[in-house]
Amino acid sequence: MDEPLSFWEHIRNIYESTVFIYGMTMLLCYALLAILSFIGIRRAQKRDSYSDYKKLLGSPLAPGISVIAPAFNEGVTIIQNVRSLLTLNYSRFEVIIVNDGSTDDTLEKLISEFEMVQVDFAYNEKIKSQPVRRIFKSANLAYDKLVVVDKVNGKSKADASNAGINVSSFPYFLCTDVDCIIEKDTLLKMIQPFMHEEGNRIREVGDPCPECGYIHVVEENRRVIAVGATLRMVNNCEVEEGVITRMRPPRALIPRFQEMEYIRSYVLGKLGWSMINCVPNVSGGLGLFDKEVCIKAGGYDPRSFGEDMDLVTRMCTYMRDNKQKYAVRYIPSTQCWTEGPPNLKIFSRQRTRWGRGLIQIMSIHKKIIFNPKYGRLGMVVFPYNLFFEFLAPIVEITGILYYIYIVVTGQINWHYALILLLFVYLYAVMITTFAILWDQITYRYYKTWREVIGLAMMAFLEPIIYHPLIVFFALRGYYYFITGRKHVWGNMQRQGFGRAKPQAG
Amino acid sequence: MWQDFNSYLLEYPSLDAAIYYFINLPLVIQIACVFIVIAFLATLFAYGSILVRRFKGGRRDRRMSVIIPRIDTLLTEHIILNEGLSENIPIDQIQLPLEEFRIPLLRSRFGKQMLIDRIVSYKKSFTGSIGALLRQLYLELELDKVSFKKMKSPKWNRKVQGMIELTDMDMSISDVNILPLTNSKNRELRAEARNAYIKLSKNEPFKFFDIVTEPLLMWDQIELFKTITTTEEISIPNFARWVTYSSNKSIVSFCLKLIVHYNQQDAAPAVMRLLENKDHVLRANAINCLGKLRYEEAEDKLVSIYSNQPLNCQIEILKALGRIDTGGHVLFLRQEFLHSSDFDIRKNAAKSLIKTTGVSQDLIRELIDTGTAENKLILKHCMNPLIKF
Repeated sequence: MDEPLSFWEHIRNIYESTVFIYGMTMLLCYALLAILSFIGIRRAQKRDSYSDYKKLLGSPLAPGISVIAPAFNEGVTIIQNVRSLLTLNYSRFEVIIVNDGSTDDTLEKLISEFEMVQVDFAYNEKIKSQPVRRIFKSANLAYDKLVVVDKVNGKSKADASNAGINVSSFPYFLCTDVDCIIEKDTLLKMIQPFMHEEGNRIREVGDPCPECGYIHVVEENRRVIAVGATLRMVNNCEVEEGVITRMRPPRALIPRFQEMEYIRSYVLGKLGWSMINCVPNVSGGLGLFDKEVCIKAGGYDPRSFGEDMDLVTRMCTYMRDNKQKYAVRYIPSTQCWTEGPPNLKIFSRQRTRWGRGLIQIMSIHKKIIFNPKYGRLGMVVFPYNLFFEFLAPIVEITGILYYIYIVVTGQINWHYALILLLFVYLYAVMITTFAILWDQITYRYYKTWREVIGLAMMAFLEPIIYHPLIVFFALRGYYYFITGRKHVWGNMQRQGFGRAKPQAG
Repeated sequence: MWQDFNSYLLEYPSLDAAIYYFINLPLVIQIACVFIVIAFLATLFAYGSILVRRFKGGRRDRRMSVIIPRIDTLLTEHIILNEGLSENIPIDQIQLPLEEFRIPLLRSRFGKQMLIDRIVSYKKSFTGSIGALLRQLYLELELDKVSFKKMKSPKWNRKVQGMIELTDMDMSISDVNILPLTNSKNRELRAEARNAYIKLSKNEPFKFFDIVTEPLLMWDQIELFKTITTTEEISIPNFARWVTYSSNKSIVSFCLKLIVHYNQQDAAPAVMRLLENKDHVLRANAINCLGKLRYEEAEDKLVSIYSNQPLNCQIEILKALGRIDTGGHVLFLRQEFLHSSDFDIRKNAAKSLIKTTGVSQDLIRELIDTGTAENKLILKHCMNPLIKF
């Protein structure tokens, strides 16, 4: 007859079963996202095969877009980057550069290069930001789309973006970083989801209003409030006049892993979520937003460490609180190229901040979690983020400690342990490889098949090298948040873009 | 009790040993084993697919790099530089060297599609006799049949592709074929069918405005606007008809934009009636339309309803007064500028005051001298020619 299990054996069984179910659920979610994103890519491809986005170019009906790019000490590259933004393909847009109290010659360069003159601008502070000192417009008609805002440093991109939103004239704004390289057709492509779902249908509610005599109406259609697109690393790409002329995966290990991670996160993850209207976040590097909803939601929070996710969450809660249907969408094509952290030190700082941002968002918006009032946001987006983004590093570290414990106490069944490890390892490799395949279906990025396969092969190294780092930095972020450690904003030294240097000899 | 795989091998042949080994594993490990096999095979499949895609894509690029210059040479030689065009021979009497286009390179499905794409692309760039000759070539090579065949495809995107090709080549599609598609359940197909119908229908190009029940999305409106305003020989109706009778708000809203574009002054009374509409978005559109039409008779009405309107309509009224520019409501604009608590109201009132030709510089100076610091800044903002908005 079997001996009854001891208390600790019960605990152990419960822990093992829970972790297995947790892991399986996460893996199934990834599989679901892979299927959904594939459907999304095929749908986008079909539409792209006949859509002529250029019809927007000459149309007087095209909605206006303000491109907002905060700049802090970007003197080295600012002129080239602003020129690149000014040549975007779109008929109605303005470029707002927010000089966030730079201590270098960023502002002086802008003033002299673009013939900027100070103007009496009626600045309406709809969203709080550090004081705006001066606003400039160009005296040269060739740069009439350019606005430069000079403000007191707010120690965050969020604060600078808020000032830019206050100055903006158009109903949509594109938030980006001044050092990002944006594809020329970005505005044409990213405005599409807004126009494909927006219909301004309204429904009358109640009796005629005693004050105005009209029956009040509520908007019934689904309003797209934010759109994102895929981002990639510009490290090792060749750039000429703000245009990528030769695309290649980064050579250095950290940015190379990041490229692979971004492809998985955007092409497979966010596009999959977009299909069921559960996008949790629109990247701070590139996002197109409905300005009215953003302002009503309070704009960016300068105290947030994950200001992009925080903004999208508040915009979504605003829509739910006001009983309006909304959508946050992603498009599969890569529209933005950003410089990834080139070394471990800068990378650790970035990921620690992200970890800190995630726990902050979870604590600030805890009322949303499992709250049916918030619909998918409360029942899908936040629970997923809680369990599979926020808790994942914690579960992983407990798993590692548990492994060490059973190894030390000789309780491990090496045979089963290796099967389980192989299972998780191969599954992770499979998901990443599919992400790269989906990406290749979207467009044949990179010049040679060796570059693609080389990038895909990184999936075999990721669980051993890159993933442990991510887990460690995330946990460090949580720790810093819990202990209230002061955050120090670091400035990433830009490597700059350029043509490939000729090989010596 | 767990047994090592080798112990099964001692008792059974290898395949049976593997089966018994698997059956006796705990459920969790069994699941893991299944997923290991799936993940391994799927990863191999993904690598294979990447390589095949790259290979096919590369081959396609190479074929295109051969075919497209060949097509371009043929089109330049036989169409653009056609001697018959310079001799003013009627298009239908020009003998096209069709055999030159029936080379093996262009006989495959891929080659034919490339040829259609290039002809369509050239047709967009050339109007007049060259455009007509391109159409003639498209017909004589029987490429229209390829496009019509696409329209019969069960796949909606093929249908759309065929329809676009036919529309771009000015081919007529019978109403019977196209009208049902204007109410298709597929949104993309429906939108494209409406576009094609407007461009190709010889009788009543705007007929579907009467029957459409779903909203016209912004993108649909942009496509339709482009088609309507660029199609030659289209008879433009008075859009007041739909402003008055259509129950579809997006159609009404779209017609207001067309009324402005075609400056249909006689539609203004119909637009005026929309000021009574309960939908504030539509009211704002109507006010915007009246302002852009510079319909002077609307001014008094706009001012009289102003106080009962939501903010978006109030702003449109202020803008409209600036556009209509009779100078009859300067005091009203001044009052709104001085006393409104809303920033946008003050800014738009100031803009309209400055735009109004009848307003003297003295009044502006007085407002600057006596206004609050913020109001002064608003006025200077509006007066600065460098600032557009």
